Amino acid sequence: MPESLIQVEHLSKVYRVPEREPGFKAAVKSLFQPQYRQVAAVQDVTFQIAAGERVGLLGPNGAGKTTTLKVLAGLLYPTRGQVRVAGQAPAQRSSAFLRQIGMVQGNKSQMIWDIPPLDSFQVLREIYGVPTAAFRKTLDELVALLDLGDLLTRPARNLSLGERMKCELVASLLHRPQVLFLDEPTLGLDISMQQRLRKFISDYNRQSGAAILLTSHYMADVTAICDRIILIHNGRKLYDGALGELSERLAPFKLIRLALANGTNHEAPDLPEGVKVIEKEGSNLTLRVARQDAPGITSALLASLAINDLTVEDPPVEAVIDRIYQEGSVA
Amino acid sequence: MNLRGGIALIKGTWASWMQYRAFFFVLAFGWMVPPLVSMLVWSAAAGADGIGGLSQAEFTAYYLILILVNQITYAQSNWTMGDVIREGGLNTWLLRPMPSIFNVLASECAGKVVYMAFVTPVAVLLALVLRPEITVSPDRLALALMSLCLAWALRFLWGYWLALLAFWTPRADALLALQDALVFLLSGVAAPVLLLPGGLQTAARLLPFRYMVGFPVEILFQNAGVGEILSGLLFQVFWLAAAAVLCRVLWKAGLRRYAAVGG
Repeated sequence: MPESLIQVEHLSKVYRVPEREPGFKAAVKSLFQPQYRQVAAVQDVTFQIAAGERVGLLGPNGAGKTTTLKVLAGLLYPTRGQVRVAGQAPAQRSSAFLRQIGMVQGNKSQMIWDIPPLDSFQVLREIYGVPTAAFRKTLDELVALLDLGDLLTRPARNLSLGERMKCELVASLLHRPQVLFLDEPTLGLDISMQQRLRKFISDYNRQSGAAILLTSHYMADVTAICDRIILIHNGRKLYDGALGELSERLAPFKLIRLALANGTNHEAPDLPEGVKVIEKEGSNLTLRVARQDAPGITSALLASLAINDLTVEDPPVEAVIDRIYQEGSVA
Repeated sequence: MNLRGGIALIKGTWASWMQYRAFFFVLAFGWMVPPLVSMLVWSAAAGADGIGGLSQAEFTAYYLILILVNQITYAQSNWTMGDVIREGGLNTWLLRPMPSIFNVLASECAGKVVYMAFVTPVAVLLALVLRPEITVSPDRLALALMSLCLAWALRFLWGYWLALLAFWTPRADALLALQDALVFLLSGVAAPVLLLPGGLQTAARLLPFRYMVGFPVEILFQNAGVGEILSGLLFQVFWLAAAAVLCRVLWKAGLRRYAAVGG
């Protein structure tokens, strides 16, 4: 088996956080005798990511997603465990390592604020030593993919948040990294801009074969981009696998949405065994059925009731994930 | 090293700063005021007889050159280093295959060009009005220029290690304000160092601050002897080496702490 692009073995990260009681006396005391508390942000997490994979790192606020990403990018040292990215130990921040990675942080900017993005890109080209021809080619591709056009010549501070995020992505990709870390890349963007960026990230992944590791609060980011998710909660890995499988394991049921035809008894329609009505609004019904019973029940419904419309759906991922956050484990 | 990247960064930063030139001109004017006041006081006091071997016109020359040297050596970029560390801007620097100090040097070099564009014409104008007098031999000029380079490096690195304390304490820039105060007092701004009273003059000779501004200017004047100049250069090199070591040690330790607690 070829070596994975990203290897994380038993990674733990413990922060030492200063803490003190409220009040003036405690403030004075903490000057001379500071108290610390150990906070385990990541505990014993292991995973591998191969070239070309698109992986979503999911978890509630404070789960340890960003900490994990920062360790992989060499910005934080692991407290315990082994981490290798593109064959290098990130903590050493060797030039060879830094040239293989790109990172976009939704809340940080790498553009020089008062000059047009094109000038910032030129600076990055020199820093990464990208040959002019390759730079032109990459830039043209990225500009076309993201539809940047005339943004390139306006000062960065005059760009809207969405326009700036597009430029941030370009800035992280000019040196064609093998590994791309995206920390909340769609933070604060409107729906259509989110969709543009998602499509771009997927397209870039297909074209370049780069591995993508993404954290986001927006489920849609993950469902649109990632073929695999790693679920982290309280610093521990709860699940690692395909998104679809997670729903199957956690939510072994399907939702059937019905619109009954006029003239049917809306109040007490005749429903087969094993069906639970979870929502009822006029002639519209939402039913919950066991996953394996769904085909049988669907045909029974169609045979016994006058129906205008019928759809069979998986439960929304948000509901599945929320259940995991609440329960703290994947059953 | 990554020289090409560094040069590109300087150009980019400079272009960015030119957008704010009015702001920087105002800053530069502020930095000119203390030596300007000293100049007026000392040349008035010198009168026709001169003080401490310097004539009225020589005082004017001393302070006009000091204004330029002060501007060239002032390391303004150290003031923002604390913010970069506290607010996580350092992450962006650390992700690039280039030593982080290049980012600071870039704003340093870019700033110099912007400031000098303001200060040089002002100094020339003052020279035309105030008629300074100075005769400089080529060898003294060469020594002064060498010392000027060392002075810039020393003032920059000294401020940089103070700024790096921001890894541990949030308001490290208070120490930069202290450095500025000591430079004013001990570096020939309030008065030429060779005219300072006994104890203060000894302190000025021993501490690094004189070698950041006043010393390269002193070299140009005949009242500074050859022995004085040579020992001064040695002190300058010594303090520069000390500052460089401190920067290196604090950067490494600071980065370890940063990577341990998170930025």
